[in-house]
Amino acid sequence: MSVTTTTRGVGRLLSPELKTRALLFRWLIALLLPLLVFTFVWQGDYVINNVLLGFITPATALTAPSKAIQSAIFMVLFYFLVLALAGYLVASDSGRRKTVSIWLDSFVFAVVPILLIDVTNNLVIGIAVSGIAWAIFFTVRKRIKYLAEAPSSPTSLPTISNDELLQRAILGGFWLGLTLSVIWLLVDVLFFVTGTLQTELLIFTAIRTVVLPIAGYFLGMLGGRVAQRYTAAAYASRDAKNNAKAGHKSRLESQQVVPNDQPLRSSGARTFYMALLIAFLLFYPAIDQYLFGYGTDGRVTGYGDAGYYVILALGLNIVVGFAGLLDLGYVAFFAIGAYTWGIIGSTQLGIIFGTVFNPLVLSWLFWPMIIVSALVAAFWGVVLGAPTLRLRGDYLAIVTLGFGEIVPIVVLNLNQVTNGANGLVGIHSPAFFGLDWSVVTPTPYYYLVLALIALVIFANIRLRDSRLGRAWVAIREDEIAAASSGINLRNTKLLAFGAGAFFAGIAGAYHSAKLGEISPDSFSYGDSIVFLAMVVIGGLGSIPGVIVGAISVYSINILILGQLDSLATDPTSFIYPVYHTITQYVPGFTFGNIRNLIFGVILITIMIFRPEGLIPSARRKRELHRDDDAPAGAGALDIVPSDPGFEAEVRIE
Amino acid sequence: MSEFLQFVIVGLVSGSIYGLIALGYTMVYGIIELINFAHGDIFMIGTLVTILLFNLLHVNDTNPPTGLALVGILLLAFIVTMIVCAVLGVVIELVAYRPLRNAPRLAPLISAIGVSLVLEDVGKLWKGLSPIAFPQIFPRAQINLGAVQVNEIDIFIIIVAVVLMVGLQWLVQRTRLGRAMRAVAQDREAASLMGVNVNRIISVTFFIGAALAGAAAVIYGLEFGTTVFYVGFNIGLIAFTAAVLGGIGNIVGAMLGSLVIGMVQSFAVLIPDSLNPSSHGIGLPHGGGSWSLAIIFAILILILVFRPSGLLGQNTPDKV
Repeated sequence: MSVTTTTRGVGRLLSPELKTRALLFRWLIALLLPLLVFTFVWQGDYVINNVLLGFITPATALTAPSKAIQSAIFMVLFYFLVLALAGYLVASDSGRRKTVSIWLDSFVFAVVPILLIDVTNNLVIGIAVSGIAWAIFFTVRKRIKYLAEAPSSPTSLPTISNDELLQRAILGGFWLGLTLSVIWLLVDVLFFVTGTLQTELLIFTAIRTVVLPIAGYFLGMLGGRVAQRYTAAAYASRDAKNNAKAGHKSRLESQQVVPNDQPLRSSGARTFYMALLIAFLLFYPAIDQYLFGYGTDGRVTGYGDAGYYVILALGLNIVVGFAGLLDLGYVAFFAIGAYTWGIIGSTQLGIIFGTVFNPLVLSWLFWPMIIVSALVAAFWGVVLGAPTLRLRGDYLAIVTLGFGEIVPIVVLNLNQVTNGANGLVGIHSPAFFGLDWSVVTPTPYYYLVLALIALVIFANIRLRDSRLGRAWVAIREDEIAAASSGINLRNTKLLAFGAGAFFAGIAGAYHSAKLGEISPDSFSYGDSIVFLAMVVIGGLGSIPGVIVGAISVYSINILILGQLDSLATDPTSFIYPVYHTITQYVPGFTFGNIRNLIFGVILITIMIFRPEGLIPSARRKRELHRDDDAPAGAGALDIVPSDPGFEAEVRIE
Repeated sequence: MSEFLQFVIVGLVSGSIYGLIALGYTMVYGIIELINFAHGDIFMIGTLVTILLFNLLHVNDTNPPTGLALVGILLLAFIVTMIVCAVLGVVIELVAYRPLRNAPRLAPLISAIGVSLVLEDVGKLWKGLSPIAFPQIFPRAQINLGAVQVNEIDIFIIIVAVVLMVGLQWLVQRTRLGRAMRAVAQDREAASLMGVNVNRIISVTFFIGAALAGAAAVIYGLEFGTTVFYVGFNIGLIAFTAAVLGGIGNIVGAMLGSLVIGMVQSFAVLIPDSLNPSSHGIGLPHGGGSWSLAIIFAILILILVFRPSGLLGQNTPDKV
């Protein structure tokens, strides 16, 4: 690069042109606000300072050095990802949306949750309440937008050169880094002057002030590269067809192309959100201590438990969501998987077969046994699915319900095999070559369930996009048409049952290993309903939807109401007076008691107002809100098969 | 012989109770093709309403009414419970099912499950978690019918059930209202073209079905003397199985299916306990009694495999 270019580059860096300045300004505010709330109102600054102090004076460290390092890595990742996101957002904004609406979006989606988590001092309740706030915000905004703004035509998105894109992104990242470092410096100086900041930390302050703008420069470039992947030029074959598409499809497309009207919801931004989420999940056990103080182990155990709900929901999603076979007895396969590992992994094996394996020698048995449990459950899935093949939808529901009832009865009564009502105890937990897990912390379980969930999600995505997955969707939509297209109905349905049961088996094995003891009462019809509700609330057939559904249902079911109960008995919390007045009228009232009530009301409400679920698959949303589309313009035809973009267009999701 | 007849009587009694509830399921399914999961819980609320009525009238076991007062109170109990349950059924339909009339099949089903959960918790909040005693006001006398002693209350229950079922059959087959119901069940659009107010007929169907469940609630309480918030689920499940067994959408089928299920449940205790040394290993572990639900479902599955539309159901082929 010549000297002139560099100077011009630096000059451009420090005094951007007018159009870019407007974009920069709006995104700086939009991103600075959440960042500042995260850093100073909530815990960001506190975490960083404590980690550093832990290194400088180890005696005052809050946690072990390994956790401190993990927290440090997470914090670095967090800020860097936000800087890169800033670059992407500045590059990808088309500039046509009003600034206020962007600031409002940023406030509601980023600042509100952080504030709520801070106020309630509880991750789950905070996110749950912000979920409600988001839902209200969404509906209100949709109504107001419908009344006020005419939908802007997505076919006239401004085009922009790749270099310009990169330039904007670099500017975005750099300026965010610069402003953040300046503000942070001022705050630190203020704290130092008032005496609440240790002197040693000043070195870090100095380093940070220099590093942040530079990092912002390069990270902005990274964001720009991501934006470049999504430009209109990259969508060459589709770009020309934009004029010919119906309103809804173009709107969907315009979410992906850069620059675009809704950069916060575009595919590029989603990669950053995913990266942030994954970083948070990976490092959660380490940073939880800083964020919430005591009680880390309890929380991590709870989230480890939530994991098997996610796996079950994904498995049921195959049967009900993809293949459309209403299964009301899914808990049966879960029980089969749990009891398989339960019998083999405990002394029950000795009672049945007279031999017991020595847990110290064969401590690695759990890992292959996950697969074995899954296969046993899948086998029973096929066996139990076989009589249902000829049945119509509602009869199928009843028969599967019947199986869901029969299996716990069998388990209860076959004393010799399953130890009946007493259940199995002392089930061995997984072990890693001699290192037994049941002893100290729940953290290995947390990572195990994360790994299992990742594998299951991967398997589901591959299944969904495979020929078998498409066959399942075909059966769901119209059996006769599917059969006429050459799909073997019997085999495909049996495979659906088998695949669904396979994942239930995995969840069952994990559950019994983690819990250490199981009994027939833990598997009942009510659980089948809960699993079905997870899939339906989240969005039938949509993988991210089902995961969100599982987490929401688990939170409502177990975390929120349980914690509301413990808050209700605590005189200092804000729930206490409310609880007191209610119990005067309804003596039997506890939050745990009305769990099903709340659950039922939520189910009814969701079915009436948003039957496609929280995060619907694209197809389902089109089906259920067909009349919401803007009328298609003249000459707006769907893409024809001879077009090169046809294959991508008919992809299911 | 007398023992055999005892089992038959027990089977008839439970069959009658299941039958009245199964009628509600089958009528609703026949008319809007929805499994009304909340129906069993309407039955449960009915039992609680009757207990409330008895408490208000200061009726209890220690001083049971006799003669004319007994007849009057029973009549009142039936009427009040049936009306309350009927109104509840209509309200549920209005709130939870009507908005979903045109939604894909799964939506009203999930909504029904939601209503069921709500009703169960209402029962839990109203009367608590443990079983509640039902005032046993019906005289516990026995009649000697030749070879067997029969409780008066059993005869009463069977008579009430038969009267109600015959009444329903008459209503559906011989009146204009019944004709309208059959028309809506057969083809909703054509019925509306013929001048039938479809919404009203559907509400009437729910009204009648829930009223029958209310009647079942009263006789259940009188016979078994206890109720609890989850009784609706258990009995509803069995009743629905009976309806499916007989061919869902078919009223006579529901009665037949309930009879079969009642008999099976009654005779299942005859299966010996294989764990008991005296049975020489034949039978099921812990005896047939604890397996009765499993046996019922197994029978259901077998029947559905060989006769997919149930015992009396019509095999409607899938139309393209």
